[in-house]
Amino acid sequence: MNKANVKVVKAKTKRVLNVLITYCILILVAFIFFFPCLWLILASFSKSGSIYSFDGFFPAQYGFDAFKSLFTDTVMYNYPRWFANTLFIAVMSCILGTFLTILTAYCMSRFRFKSRKAMMKATLLLGMFPSFMGTIAVYLIMTQFNLINQHWGLILIYSAQAPMGYMVQKGFFDTIPYSIDEAARIDGASNFTVFVKFILPLSKPMLVYTALTSFTWPWSDFILPKMLLIDKDLYTVAVGLMSLGETEFARFAAGSIFIAIPIIVLYFCLVKYMINGMAAGAVKE
Amino acid sequence: MANLSLKHIYKVYPNGAKAVNDFNMQIDDKEFIVFVGPSGCGKSTTLRMIAGLEEITAGELKIGDTVVNGMEPKDRDIAMVFQNYALYPHMTIFENIAFGLRMRKVPDVKRYKKDDNKGHRAGEPVLDKNGQEIPVMRKYNKQELAAKVNEAAEILGITEYLKRKPKEMSGGQRQRVALGRAIVRHPKVMLLDEPLSNLDAKLRTQMRSEIVKLHKKLETTFIYVTHDQVEAMTMGTRIVVMKDGFVKQIDTPKNLYKYPANKFVAGFIGTPQMNFFACTLKKSGDKVKIKFTDADAEIAVPYAALMKTTPHYLDGNKNVILGFRAEAVSLDGAGDAKIKVKISHSEELGTETLVYGDLNTEGGEDTRIIIKAGGFRQFEPDAVCTASLDTEQIHLFDAETEESIMPRVPEFNYLDCSVKGGKLTFLGTTETLPPAISCADGKGELLIPVSAVKFGGGIKAKVTDSETVNGKILLTLEINGSRLYALSDKERKGEVSIGIDYKAITLRVGGSEVLPMPRINCLDGALIAEKKDGATVYCLLIGGEKFAAPEEVYTKIFAATTGRKAFNTAFRYEWDAYGLSVGENGISAEVEGMLDYGEEKFARVNAGGQTLYVKTDADLSGTVRIVPDAAKVSVVESERRIRIV
Amino acid sequence: MKIVEKFKALPDKIRAIPKKLSDKLAGAKEILTQGNGKVTASMLVMGLGQLIYKQWVKGAMFAFIQIAFIVYFVLTGATDLFGFFTLGTREGNAWYGVEGDNSVVRLIMGILAIMIIVLYAAIYVSNVKDVYRTQCAVDTLKKPVGFKQEAAALLDKSFHKTALALPVIGVCVFSILPIVFMILIAFTNYGGDIVPPALVDWVGFANFGKILSLGQFAPTFFKIFGWNMLWAVLATALNYFAGLGLALLLNKKCVKGKAIWRAFPILAYAIPGFITLLGFKFMFSYGGPINYYIQQGGGEAVGFLGLDAKWSARFIGLAVNAWISIPSTMLLATGILSNVNTDLYEAARVDGASSWKQFIKITLPYVLFATTPVLISQFIGNFNNFGIFYFLRGGLYADGYFLASDTDLLINWLYNMSIDNNYYSIGAAISLVIFVITSIISLTVYVLSPSYKQEETFR
Repeated sequence: MNKANVKVVKAKTKRVLNVLITYCILILVAFIFFFPCLWLILASFSKSGSIYSFDGFFPAQYGFDAFKSLFTDTVMYNYPRWFANTLFIAVMSCILGTFLTILTAYCMSRFRFKSRKAMMKATLLLGMFPSFMGTIAVYLIMTQFNLINQHWGLILIYSAQAPMGYMVQKGFFDTIPYSIDEAARIDGASNFTVFVKFILPLSKPMLVYTALTSFTWPWSDFILPKMLLIDKDLYTVAVGLMSLGETEFARFAAGSIFIAIPIIVLYFCLVKYMINGMAAGAVKE
Repeated sequence: MANLSLKHIYKVYPNGAKAVNDFNMQIDDKEFIVFVGPSGCGKSTTLRMIAGLEEITAGELKIGDTVVNGMEPKDRDIAMVFQNYALYPHMTIFENIAFGLRMRKVPDVKRYKKDDNKGHRAGEPVLDKNGQEIPVMRKYNKQELAAKVNEAAEILGITEYLKRKPKEMSGGQRQRVALGRAIVRHPKVMLLDEPLSNLDAKLRTQMRSEIVKLHKKLETTFIYVTHDQVEAMTMGTRIVVMKDGFVKQIDTPKNLYKYPANKFVAGFIGTPQMNFFACTLKKSGDKVKIKFTDADAEIAVPYAALMKTTPHYLDGNKNVILGFRAEAVSLDGAGDAKIKVKISHSEELGTETLVYGDLNTEGGEDTRIIIKAGGFRQFEPDAVCTASLDTEQIHLFDAETEESIMPRVPEFNYLDCSVKGGKLTFLGTTETLPPAISCADGKGELLIPVSAVKFGGGIKAKVTDSETVNGKILLTLEINGSRLYALSDKERKGEVSIGIDYKAITLRVGGSEVLPMPRINCLDGALIAEKKDGATVYCLLIGGEKFAAPEEVYTKIFAATTGRKAFNTAFRYEWDAYGLSVGENGISAEVEGMLDYGEEKFARVNAGGQTLYVKTDADLSGTVRIVPDAAKVSVVESERRIRIV
Repeated sequence: MKIVEKFKALPDKIRAIPKKLSDKLAGAKEILTQGNGKVTASMLVMGLGQLIYKQWVKGAMFAFIQIAFIVYFVLTGATDLFGFFTLGTREGNAWYGVEGDNSVVRLIMGILAIMIIVLYAAIYVSNVKDVYRTQCAVDTLKKPVGFKQEAAALLDKSFHKTALALPVIGVCVFSILPIVFMILIAFTNYGGDIVPPALVDWVGFANFGKILSLGQFAPTFFKIFGWNMLWAVLATALNYFAGLGLALLLNKKCVKGKAIWRAFPILAYAIPGFITLLGFKFMFSYGGPINYYIQQGGGEAVGFLGLDAKWSARFIGLAVNAWISIPSTMLLATGILSNVNTDLYEAARVDGASSWKQFIKITLPYVLFATTPVLISQFIGNFNNFGIFYFLRGGLYADGYFLASDTDLLINWLYNMSIDNNYYSIGAAISLVIFVITSIISLTVYVLSPSYKQEETFR
């Protein structure tokens, strides 16, 4: 063997080692992220329910009791009701919030009006206040408007606060070339037409993203519902699950799986959008 | 299909930066105009102002006979092609092209929607009480849309792609779609903003000729913006060269190449770039010696080639820049002025070879010269050869202003003269000086502006040459064997008689100097509105006196200002001597003296510190009142320095 | 370097303020001196000038707004405004059946009244400006903008006005109003025993003094603040570099089935945070699986999250936070890495740079550059990370702390004091302090970041 061959072999071993280590780390990472989820799934199939009856991570006995009681034993914990409540609130806030956020982002991206810079700085500043300090005031406002203990009150708050997070969407709109707007305007479109016929169809990925974020927030929020909803029947899942103790662990796990599944499904759809990006083929790179 | 008129167009940003400065141009129907210049020169801004995408700060833009300032882009009947094509990515090619049509309505008459029981058929016009058709605006229907889109697609050869989306097409095809979108509406003016700069070199050449063909076919006015001078030269019927917001020259490609008005245009147009060298000129006999400042070289040029040059450049002191193109120099000894060149390297391009060399054989200051030689040629690096320059093809520029010092239309005729007892002798003729010009006796020089040579006078001359420059005719006259340039509106031949407009001449004799009478009188003032008999009268307010302004003047002022700014800002009003007269109600002024030019008399007066020249028939003295003719005023807004009228 | 320049430019900016102000005033002065009778009419009665100019709809609308405002002001506005300053005068007493003033409601209605007055003032000014604009147009022989045109423009030129109206109102009522309320609460004695029906009063800066000087607040504040800073730095760094590392790992050419490997972190990302946190709480609880194995191995059950578990609880918090946040950083970094010019790497390889060198010299600077704003927001997010310790360890009060435990961040302390224990005014004051700290950090970095400066280059 000459020197060159030694070098080649060395490089090869190095490469194999490299691949080996990479996969080891990947398996470890996958384990770290997957194991707690697996644990929750297994726990939901526990027969007894209490966390004290587990053999470590694994339930002593398996069964569908947790799921059964989740949907049938509704006297103390009316899970189906909570689920329906959460869905209603999240869907409504998602629709309204997305609409308002997209509008705000479009205006901030496409118009140059006097108070624009001031508004941008103001939203940035407002975002830095510890949010729940305001909840006392929100609570008082809601009592004044008689919207306590009502789902519409929550929806109102979620959708009204959504436009504050317009920056991501604005950044996206900024990348849609301005010349498309101009071409459309020369073709005879008004700014409203431009928004409806061009900006909206071109920002489908962003619409999905916005809808998703404005859906997940009410879906998993607990401070506001806990504060504004008094009747147990009006609870959202987050508030409801928090009221479960360690002895109801299996039920907690089962409830968690149900609330997590829609979001997980949605997120995997989003990943597709994220990877695809927007193939704006009509525009130079 | 329309002509365009741009008058005093300005673009001033709120921070005071001027992107476009006093742009004036008349564009005829069916012209292919190219705006060219380096980035940031204001060419795109001007185009966008024509499109209506950018607001016009001041000035008047007409498309056809309509003033379109402030009009929405869609109402201007223009179409625009963008640099990045700006196709609508989510629409098919058909929809891309059809969108503009869908947004528009066509005039039609009201028609029955379906057959009815009174015997009316669907599609039949509805008649009103008087039996007249009722005009309505309606949208294009499907068949019309398809027909129009197909027509445009056929012209551009993209019929088979109509169902595709833009991202499925190549750059060249996208460019065609963008063109199709523009032509489908049959706009009056096509605006193209660097449409080819995203294409590769080969495709660019191909699309270039296609756009030219398209222009011929459509017979529409094209305005094309590019930074590429080759595109400009090959496509435009006329080219506007811009730099830093100023128009540097507007002319045909040929004239830009042959007669660049300044060093910028000379350097910008043509490849390889023109050779420039700092030098001084010295006239000796019938030759002018050109001495290179940075190199030990000197060439002699016949004075005849520099006839139009201002004489004071020829004294050997003034710094000028000599320019000549690579093809004006030869290494084969074809030219008449020899220079030594040390060759550094050469580029063989096939049909020609570009030779790079240095005038300075010893090294030192950078005196790079590029020479074009025909065919494949090999040159030894560091060899010193003799290059010969064709003196007919040289250009000279002022070193400071960079303006050409041998313009096509010279500003002045420079003549030797002598004065004796109020008589002026020049070109072998003698004329009596008017009383306004008092001058010591002696020999000296006389500057007669080319425009001050009038036809019909006491001096006999012979036309030896005439050339048309920018719509005017420059005549070369011969008087007693000497040369004189004159401008004429019409073609003249043979014997003519000429006279001199004495108020425009400069005379330097025996240490004394007579300057021409200033042509422009400036007065600062404002604009006010006054109620008079129930009607509002708009007046120029100058020195406390009011002069009713004609409609054209105040509407232009209003158009160029926002809010009530027209009434709150200062203007500079300008008149020539004929726009001012002496009357009863006017600006108070002290007469300082009378200027009698024989046929005409002018009074020099002082109005509040401003010296004015006023045409008058009588001899004036003491205090007079000056009445300006508001119809002849030109107006400059003082604050932003914007010429309005 | 840049910061220094920014500060050097500051005096110029301050010097420019009077000019800006005088520019603003010049506009007002122009209207006052050059406005005609119709402008004066609109100043006296909104819409009157427009009506004289025969702009019927516009004039009527302005007039209606004025009438509506007057009615509002007479009916409730005046009392609300008054209540803002007094915070109520009559103390309620259930014993005697006296229905007193609720100070807090007074305050909030007062803020609302001020907002309405400001809005009205803005409409009033626009009314005057509008009629003056009409006057200008008439004076300079231009066609005044009619109502129809203005209405049409609301879908075109001024589409932003139409589109932003709803979001702005929503944000004003549900984001700005609460924040203003909270800021104002910091200057009252609301809290403790003084809650409605007792009357609340303005106390000025007393609450801030209390935080810094008073025995019970000051030590807790500084202890928590120190931990909070440490936490924010550690958590941000951990999440950022682990996420970046993960993205790089998944970006490697030798990794097959990237989508599957990526799915695991995304799974963690998708699960609602409160579920994850409660799950981990169960995992580390006394009866949880970890302790089960410890006991199986013969050890004593450990209170990982118990009252005296200072550092173990802190580390668990850090780890759990990483579990939740790393996936999002990974996704972001993946997106950014796909934009890196691959030529750079090839050039580097040709030059003989090792992969570590490539990472240090190319990848890291590029990613850092692109993610500066994200880094800031992650830092702020971690600084104010309420959920982690609220769920893992909520409701614990440790020795040496006032109403807080040793893992609590400022924001948790805030929650404990104001929501759980009624120390509203002190809580508000603390949140103002938090706000000042976070905003100084992030505004400075944000303004200096390239993404802010280059905003206009997109166009």
